[in-house]
Amino acid sequence: MHDLNRPAPLPNPSDALFALRGLSYAYPGDIQALRDINLAIAPGDRLGLVGHNGSGKTTLVKQLCGLLQPQRGEAFYKGEKLRGDHLQRARLEIGLLFQDPDDQLFCHSLIEDVAFGPRNQGLPAATAEVAARRALEQVELLDHAYKAPHALSYGQKKRAALAGLLAMRPEVLILDEPTANLDPRQECLFLDLLRDYSGTLIVISHDLLFLYELCDRALVLDTGRIHHDYGMRELVAHRPSLREHGLDFSFRFAGNEKDPSPRDNPAPAAMPESSATPASSTPLIELGGYHFSYPDGTAALKGIDLRIHSTERVALVGENGAGKSTLLACLLGIHRGKGFYRYDGQEMDNRRRKQLWNRVGLVFQDCADQLFCPSVFDEVAFGPRQRGYTEMEVERRVAKALRQVRLEGFEPRVPLKLSGGERKRLALAGVLALDPEVLILDEPTAGLDPQGEELLLQILREVKATLLLVSHDMFFVRKLTERTLVMHRGSILRDYPTASFLDDSDLASLNGLDYTYRDRCAIEIRQIQHEHEHEHLHKHLHEHQHRHGDLLHSHPHEHEHEHRHRFRHSHDEEGGHSHPPQREFHDHPHPGHEDEPHDHEH
Amino acid sequence: MHISDGVLPTTVALGSYALSAVIAAWSLKRTRPEALPKVAVVTATFFVASLIHIPFGPTSVHLLLPGLVGALLGASGFIAILVGLLLQSLLFQFGGLTALGANALMMGLPALACGFFFHRFKGKTAKRQMLVGGLCGGLGTMLAALLLACLLTTGGEDFFGVAKLALAAHVPVIIIETIVTALTVSFLSRVKPELLQAPFQTRRKMP
Amino acid sequence: MTPQPIILPGWSLAGGLLLLLLMGGASSWGIRRLVRGARQRRKGEPDWSLPQLDGATAGDSPIHRWEVRCKLVGMLGFAFLVVSLQDLRTAAVAGAITLSLLFVTRLPFDRSLARLLAMSGFLGMFLLVMPFSAPAHPGDTLIQFGNLESLPWNLRGLHKAATICLKACAVALLMEPLLATAPLTRTLQGLRRLGVPAAIGQMLLLAHRYSYVFKHEAWRMASGMRLRGFQPGSNRRALGAFGNFLGMLFVRSFERTERVYDAMQARGYRDRFPEPEPQPATAKDLLLAGFFLLLGVALLLADRCYFSTF
Repeated sequence: MHDLNRPAPLPNPSDALFALRGLSYAYPGDIQALRDINLAIAPGDRLGLVGHNGSGKTTLVKQLCGLLQPQRGEAFYKGEKLRGDHLQRARLEIGLLFQDPDDQLFCHSLIEDVAFGPRNQGLPAATAEVAARRALEQVELLDHAYKAPHALSYGQKKRAALAGLLAMRPEVLILDEPTANLDPRQECLFLDLLRDYSGTLIVISHDLLFLYELCDRALVLDTGRIHHDYGMRELVAHRPSLREHGLDFSFRFAGNEKDPSPRDNPAPAAMPESSATPASSTPLIELGGYHFSYPDGTAALKGIDLRIHSTERVALVGENGAGKSTLLACLLGIHRGKGFYRYDGQEMDNRRRKQLWNRVGLVFQDCADQLFCPSVFDEVAFGPRQRGYTEMEVERRVAKALRQVRLEGFEPRVPLKLSGGERKRLALAGVLALDPEVLILDEPTAGLDPQGEELLLQILREVKATLLLVSHDMFFVRKLTERTLVMHRGSILRDYPTASFLDDSDLASLNGLDYTYRDRCAIEIRQIQHEHEHEHLHKHLHEHQHRHGDLLHSHPHEHEHEHRHRFRHSHDEEGGHSHPPQREFHDHPHPGHEDEPHDHEH
Repeated sequence: MHISDGVLPTTVALGSYALSAVIAAWSLKRTRPEALPKVAVVTATFFVASLIHIPFGPTSVHLLLPGLVGALLGASGFIAILVGLLLQSLLFQFGGLTALGANALMMGLPALACGFFFHRFKGKTAKRQMLVGGLCGGLGTMLAALLLACLLTTGGEDFFGVAKLALAAHVPVIIIETIVTALTVSFLSRVKPELLQAPFQTRRKMP
Repeated sequence: MTPQPIILPGWSLAGGLLLLLLMGGASSWGIRRLVRGARQRRKGEPDWSLPQLDGATAGDSPIHRWEVRCKLVGMLGFAFLVVSLQDLRTAAVAGAITLSLLFVTRLPFDRSLARLLAMSGFLGMFLLVMPFSAPAHPGDTLIQFGNLESLPWNLRGLHKAATICLKACAVALLMEPLLATAPLTRTLQGLRRLGVPAAIGQMLLLAHRYSYVFKHEAWRMASGMRLRGFQPGSNRRALGAFGNFLGMLFVRSFERTERVYDAMQARGYRDRFPEPEPQPATAKDLLLAGFFLLLGVALLLADRCYFSTF
């Protein structure tokens, strides 16, 4: 076999694969990232690592592969400390997928990059290439083997980075936000690969819907501490603890049923039934037969016809590389294609294109592209100042915009040092300070934790501007828009009300937009969550001090109580429910129970 | 501005190759070995930054940034500039194969000088760092222009006119570079001051 | 003794300059068109599953099969000999030789043209300035425009400038046959085996890879600024924005260096990149290198012995 050359895996004398004992870590500048972590991960565990933005998840996985050394406590892999030679060998067995695939693809061509790991494992060039080809085949990129990484699309890069790990046949696979910004088809590919993966799996994600089926154990981190170490099903079932950790994505389920009026924000009364044809007024944005090709000859837009009216709220969906970003760039006047583009009834020319920024605002997918000032105030004030407002007007606008995004009092802070969610809202404030007529959002939920998402949703619903939302997130599409455009390979495939889009079942075959996996998980989770929220009388064993006449003692005994409890159970049609067998013994507070008469056999 | 092939006398071209090889070896030695990939990635940024054009009057100038390279990278700056020039001349649209050594000296020596100057005088306050940074930016470009002129005049008196013109052409660059470097350094000192400590260098102080 | 200038009417200077400007403009426009045309002809996505050479097209020629070390020595030696030439005619021959290499390797012309275009500004300055600035020597042909006595036009200066241009073009045309006929990793391996420290090659590869990433990042940041009304200029506000922009670019790149280095370590990097299998050099390769060096020496001899009288 080809793999004979690969180094033999390290023996594992202990029963835990990873063991962290009393581990603490602080970044320079006294930013405490991990505090007193005790954790054991067994071989074959499938672990979901969840928590707020900034709760220490990434730091924890860096400890697991020895990229950071603990300041207090110890980290063991297969019974030995992660250090020196053992660390070097351990790294060849642990695969770590970074959030940004560009960090990980550092070689000149894809095949060299994927073969990098196997070569470091000591395989000769030819054998390493065989391993690399096999891995590329797994992620369906074999026909791009000699392409340079910068010539790949985002989704392809992400898959290539995974291939670089799979080629090493890792025993442990650690993934940091593997599916952020991926379209459903690529997400599915990831899911399939990870399901079939037999080793130990550790996944960081905010997306509990994604983790739900993949992992069976959930670790909740909060400000550097392990708060809970649950089964995945138990975690998603327990809303209070989800809420506590900013993970409650249940707001997503409100209105998830396919009810007739999915949009519950006040719909503009002027909206006619079929939003695609309001003939009378002039549309705000009008594109006709619009084409765009990049200088290298790739045709990105092929004949776009599009009309968007004032105060409409439109979603733009499509697979990665369908041309959504290019279309946005054209609307914003960054790119110039062929065909006609009228804004507010006026043909676009060079002079108007230069002034377009006054009327159209964009929130970038990666807010790092938008934030470049040394303070929050300067950041928001940048646009208004460019417009030449007086300093007083600038201050008024900044204050208003910051209030709108709930960032009052942040003015003197450094944007670079805010959390992910705050940065996103700051980027939004920078755009809102200009009062745009059209607000364009490119994947606004990428990288946000559920709490941040919920807040962003609230803010966006208050925004009055015409909205164009690009997203893979069906929940946001449902909540914020009433019309959906489906793009595929540079043209608009469908243009219909959002409700019809959400019911559209041929999309999977048309362009691979298959949202059913998420729906399935969502329905399942809703069932468990909903049913756990009640009290009822049940019988169980427990131990506490109690009295039989004069005799005071303590031992496990069985009796009935009325109290809240979490069970796994299912509902039947009539509203009754049944429990599977449960744990017999547990402990819970019983005020005054000690003094009640007890009657049982000893 | 870079010197292209065929301008310098061959002896000067070869001599500057040898000299820059010696300085590059020293610079490599002064960089922590594990920092080399990091210097490479930062080099890519300098390369991209030097593509930026800033309008100035009727023309535009593009930044040379030797001062900033020195301030951020210290002794590793020379190797970064060498790699950046190689990148430019090998992969993108530039010749300059035989003039590589001279170009490296022209940009690299000012970078080293500015690095020394910046770390010697930067002080602690943001205001002072901005001032010193700006001086470095102007100084770096001025030195680069002077070196360029000197190298050109090695070709004989026929080249004096071109050398003078090249010097004159750098005046706007020096002005812009001074301002932009000052502002960049002040941004960094407010946002990420640790970058101004030449993070890739070995511990030893600059000679 | 200053030679007597040939006097031409003053308008001919203006006319000549205008003509030069027009010619320069037209040729650069023409080259741009050609480059774009060639790009568009190669529009169809190439088949990336074949090993891709760093010249956008794979090819097969004696140069492609040449062992890298011999190729580097042969061509670099040739380049140094070419830049030592002093006469227009030998420089022209050198240019013709490197041009013919382009035909032999059947490499696309657009990239070579782009290289020439990139140098045109610097070389144009020589062509324009040197005839005026070269001091007059006995035997020089001077041309005086009208009554501009202080600004004589020296033909020897033009000759010198033209020679420099031809030499520069000759070496620039050598770049594509040198680099685009083998994968970059292999070329760098050759350099390392010739004694260049391995670190330089690795840094070059990394810098190349990430220059694309940062270029894209910078482009996105610049459009983000433009969308909030940024007008490039040299006033205080615009320069402040430039300063912030550069600073942010560096902050992001320093942060990325940490992540990239982490990713390299996590995949077992230990201060060394894996290399392709080394290629053995055969007698044929050595002979070819010797031939190139001899060619250069012959050119130099011809230059010094036959044409040194000019």
